[in-house]
Amino acid sequence: MLNTLIFVVLPYVALALVLVVTPYRFFSNRLGWTAYSTQFLERRTLYWGINPWHYGIILILLAHLAGIVAPGVMKRLLGNKDALIFLESVGLGLGFLALFGSIILLLRRANSTTLKRLTLVSDWVLLLLLITQTATGVYISLFMRWGSQWYLHTVVPYFYSLISFNPQLEYMADFPLIFKLHAAGAFLIVALLPFTKLVHMLYQPFTFLKDPPILYRWQSKPKERVG
Amino acid sequence: MDVRAQLVMVFNLDKCIGCHACSLSCKNIWTDRKGAEYMWWNNVETKPGVGYPKKWEDQEEFKGGWVADGQNLRLKAMGKGPTLLNMFFQPNMPKLEDYYEPFDFDYGNLYGAKGGDDQPVAEAFSQISGEKMAHIKAGPNWDDDLSGSQVYAAEDVNLEDRKIIEQYSTMFMQYLPRICNHCLNPACVASCPSRAIYKRGEDGVVLVDQEVCKGWRFCTSACPYKKVYFNWNSGKAEKCIFCFPRTETGQCNACAHSCVGRIRYVGVLLYDAAKVEQALLKPDNQLVEAHRAVILDPRDEAVREGARKNGVPEQWLEAAEKSPVYALVKEFGLALPLHPEFRTMPMAYYIPSLSPVLAAGGELHELVEHGTIPPRESLRAPIGYLASLLGGGNREVVAAALEKLIALRIHMRAKNLNQPPDEAILARAGLDEAGAGRLYRLFTVGGYNERNIIPPQQREDLDSHTRKGASGFGILKKTGRGK
Repeated sequence: MLNTLIFVVLPYVALALVLVVTPYRFFSNRLGWTAYSTQFLERRTLYWGINPWHYGIILILLAHLAGIVAPGVMKRLLGNKDALIFLESVGLGLGFLALFGSIILLLRRANSTTLKRLTLVSDWVLLLLLITQTATGVYISLFMRWGSQWYLHTVVPYFYSLISFNPQLEYMADFPLIFKLHAAGAFLIVALLPFTKLVHMLYQPFTFLKDPPILYRWQSKPKERVG
Repeated sequence: MDVRAQLVMVFNLDKCIGCHACSLSCKNIWTDRKGAEYMWWNNVETKPGVGYPKKWEDQEEFKGGWVADGQNLRLKAMGKGPTLLNMFFQPNMPKLEDYYEPFDFDYGNLYGAKGGDDQPVAEAFSQISGEKMAHIKAGPNWDDDLSGSQVYAAEDVNLEDRKIIEQYSTMFMQYLPRICNHCLNPACVASCPSRAIYKRGEDGVVLVDQEVCKGWRFCTSACPYKKVYFNWNSGKAEKCIFCFPRTETGQCNACAHSCVGRIRYVGVLLYDAAKVEQALLKPDNQLVEAHRAVILDPRDEAVREGARKNGVPEQWLEAAEKSPVYALVKEFGLALPLHPEFRTMPMAYYIPSLSPVLAAGGELHELVEHGTIPPRESLRAPIGYLASLLGGGNREVVAAALEKLIALRIHMRAKNLNQPPDEAILARAGLDEAGAGRLYRLFTVGGYNERNIIPPQQREDLDSHTRKGASGFGILKKTGRGK
């Protein structure tokens, strides 16, 4: 029952929400589409929270993604013992970095009357959820060794079964509860993404990297002449 | 030649009385909102002074603007790659304390307080946290009229010698009203990773697209004038919009309209967009000349042809010909760019102010007796200071402008007293009788329609249905954190 909820219901609900709510929010009102930075109001503690958090979590997310996008390459890479040990240690380090950062971010909000006034319920929920998620991740990495290896033989095939609308629970059913919590947390975060400030992740700077520096917009000729 | 049009404002500092009417009208219209309480899209600073936000001119601290790097221009703070690496924490962004914590007073307490021995007071509270503020430590104009000059004015980066404002005998001050300069090479536009800030092709107004802005905050640091603000409630950047809803309907900007001293002029400049970058590679002390070289003569047939090819309408060419801004900036060379060495090519120009003479009692008496207007060398405000502010360090361009103002006064004084005017004085300053007449009108009796020549926007050329759909302003959708 719990398995069905976590590994079948939750992922599809999350996927449906992302696919439906995100475009709706994009086209109906983008005025709230921002990270709601509070650096302007408090910057000293923020520095020690936001940098470790982002640099830790982005690399870890990319590593999770790499296993799904290129399982073959990862399998070959992690067949090398040295590479496996190196990747596991770096991953654990980044995990601790992200955990440290997110806890600082939570304490920062809790300790400032100014920030507390600006913090919505969704911010608290997100912060707690992200801390829990990072903590379970660090726990798994510490006590369920060689995760980067077994991830490729369990989670990745399960993921492909999800995508092909034929979810195969047997890949996941026998994992301990802590792992199931980690999976449930991940799907929950994805489900919350379109409703919260997490939408700031959905942004790509490609035009910034390739365009000329000064952007002109012409009302008379909207399409031509950028620059 | 790539001819484009720009709406430009000129400030005659010689007439600014520092009344802040401009700031208040702007505030009432545009920034009287949650998240924007601390913003002053238009503000008036006392110079010497640290300004708003404090020490905005100090680019060693804030890293705003551009630097000419051999053959290239680059943002002083960071390039594109480092920008993306600094998205989570913006290292050069000014913080709230650099502006001030916005406050209001609890007037309700005057009526609602319980009975007691003392009179109730309206205590100050923060408009951000809502907490009581026992001490208000800063405001938008904390060092107005040199108050606390030892602490504030002495920190002015333009001062060569801080002693000058520590002694009554050498002290000087003037006002500096500032809006967004709507630059030709805006650092805010170039630094935005979301590409949310853009320059309107038709009139050059720089705007932040509130739908696209994601609040990365690079614009607030990149603008050397600190005229892009971060709204802490909406999580996005905001700035002066050159009152485009007003100019589009033929009215001049609220700040200019409410100006008591009538120091502001609004008009069209034609410029060559292809020459902007080259001009900005020049060394600091040649930048004023470079600015003027980019501005084109609206009476030149080749320029008009180029403008037409770029879709500049006839009414705009007509307005450019009559433009008071073109006259003051290029024809007479009186109006100078504010800190051209920031290399954004600001499109707000300032006529430097004359100042009282630097003299001991006896000497002053002598001047009065002889009834002359004192020479430039005896003015209190040091030319080096003005050159640092308005000339990129070039004293000659500032001196030339001041000489013209003085010659104009001598000339008009003679005329008023029915004395024979001395043409040589005008000629030495680079003016003639007709020019002096034009300047006199602009500076004194020229009315609203002479000071502000704002052509109809191209929107007026659109068919009325399209126009109706496109000209709405004011944000009706939900914004901010909704608390």
